[in-house]
Amino acid sequence: MSYTTDEMMTVAAARALRDGSACFVGIGQPSAAANLARRTHAPDLVLVYESGTLGAKPDRLPLSIGDGILAETADAVVSVPEIFNYWLQPGRIDVGFLGGAQIDRFGNINTTVIGGYAEPKVRLPGAGGAPEIATSCREVFVVMRHNPRAFVAAVDFVTSLGYGRDGEQRDALRPLGKGPTRVMTDLGVLEPDPDTHELTLTALNPGVEVEQVRAATGWELRLAEEITVQDPPTETELSTLRALKEAS
Amino acid sequence: MRDKQCTAEEVAAELRDGMTLGIGGWGSRRKPMALVRAILRSPVKNLRVVSYGGPDVGLLCAAGKVRELVFGFVTLDSIPYDPLFRKAREQEGLAVREWDEGMFYAGLQAAAQRLPFLPIRAGLGSDVPRNDPALRTVRSPYGDGEELLAVPALELDVALVHLNRADKHGNARYLGPDPYFDDLFCLAAKKRFVSCERLVSTAELAEGAPQTLLCNRTMVDGVVEIPRGAHFTSCAPDYGRDEKFQRAYADAPQNGLLSRLVSGSEQDYQAVVQEVS
Repeated sequence: MSYTTDEMMTVAAARALRDGSACFVGIGQPSAAANLARRTHAPDLVLVYESGTLGAKPDRLPLSIGDGILAETADAVVSVPEIFNYWLQPGRIDVGFLGGAQIDRFGNINTTVIGGYAEPKVRLPGAGGAPEIATSCREVFVVMRHNPRAFVAAVDFVTSLGYGRDGEQRDALRPLGKGPTRVMTDLGVLEPDPDTHELTLTALNPGVEVEQVRAATGWELRLAEEITVQDPPTETELSTLRALKEAS
Repeated sequence: MRDKQCTAEEVAAELRDGMTLGIGGWGSRRKPMALVRAILRSPVKNLRVVSYGGPDVGLLCAAGKVRELVFGFVTLDSIPYDPLFRKAREQEGLAVREWDEGMFYAGLQAAAQRLPFLPIRAGLGSDVPRNDPALRTVRSPYGDGEELLAVPALELDVALVHLNRADKHGNARYLGPDPYFDDLFCLAAKKRFVSCERLVSTAELAEGAPQTLLCNRTMVDGVVEIPRGAHFTSCAPDYGRDEKFQRAYADAPQNGLLSRLVSGSEQDYQAVVQEVS
């Protein structure tokens, strides 16, 4: 079955989710990945949406975090204030998903501004709850399309903390979650080096060459000692993902 | 007990230039839109607005009423970024305190609890606090010594919220799935006004789960009955969001509706509703 690079990215993100874990889900790629995971290898995955639904089990992709299907299929519905104070900030969520306009070599993410803050080229929607997802979830997965404008040496603005400007800032801010542990793109997977926290290429999507990833990365990309090649999407993964999308 | 019924115009007349105005609801949900329109028509200016932003913020900014905005986002939910706000933001002159949602919540909570600040981890290490130089951190005085962000209290002069049902004394109930932060907005403010879908007797209001009585008369100064008062935002279960109207709102800078929505009369607004929805 042929598939798109975006589908490969979503499938890779789904596979990274462990069964039984609690996942904070945003609309778009993260929601597609989490719902795919729940319908394939992780039936006990707990989907938490910011609108207050704990354990949502939608049979199609929700159109927004306020989509009624989330509350109708949830284990419990709590208020938005409760999601922040009692679930997100105390570190009760295993995995938070983030994306953004820019990510840098130390996994910091920018959703605030391209250019200077006072004199921007583009003003972006801003923080929302992303900074606390980045600091409070036990770990963070990032899903983003790979190109040199998005994967930059240093972000213009750190909306969501990765490992900080120097790669070490996060360690000084304990107790926080682990930070971004996997960045899944349409080309492959980057993971932080265990010592320096610099994002390093650890896996390629099928058919992608290392040079392609280097060319799409705005810093001199380091390679892990062993680079694996991810399995292409299975027929079950693809048909499940497409059915979820078509149903919405 | 006091009858606190009033009109939208009387609520708007309580505002003075330069005041801090808190607006309840969340994004494009249960916003006190009819009260916001009354403000658009009033002469008040230079407001400092505190909101989980939706079209309330877009309209007030487009009307030039806002001097400073405290926010974590400005979204229409089904349209991720409010285009009227985007436009205002890209022009000069709008001061902002651009926070994370959790910081914003801590600020409201501090004001509601009459504390000067509340500590929080959200935003640590991000440029969000760095970009707001008035923000400070605080170190835990206990053995852990943890450094936390000290979010200052978001004290409000006036709060406006919209709820499903209320009585004339200022007790009010939400019937939808979420209280949002409306109780905190009222507790954080000096003057508090509730608009409601339907005004009912206290006896009728008391039917139902007591925990959904979000506001009570001790924290409310005025009540306005305005059916469809949250339109075009959602007010579940009385009505959902008017998505068609919201698209027209989002396109207003291009489709010629902007001046009617921003500086028109209430009749103009209702005429646009008839045309669009």
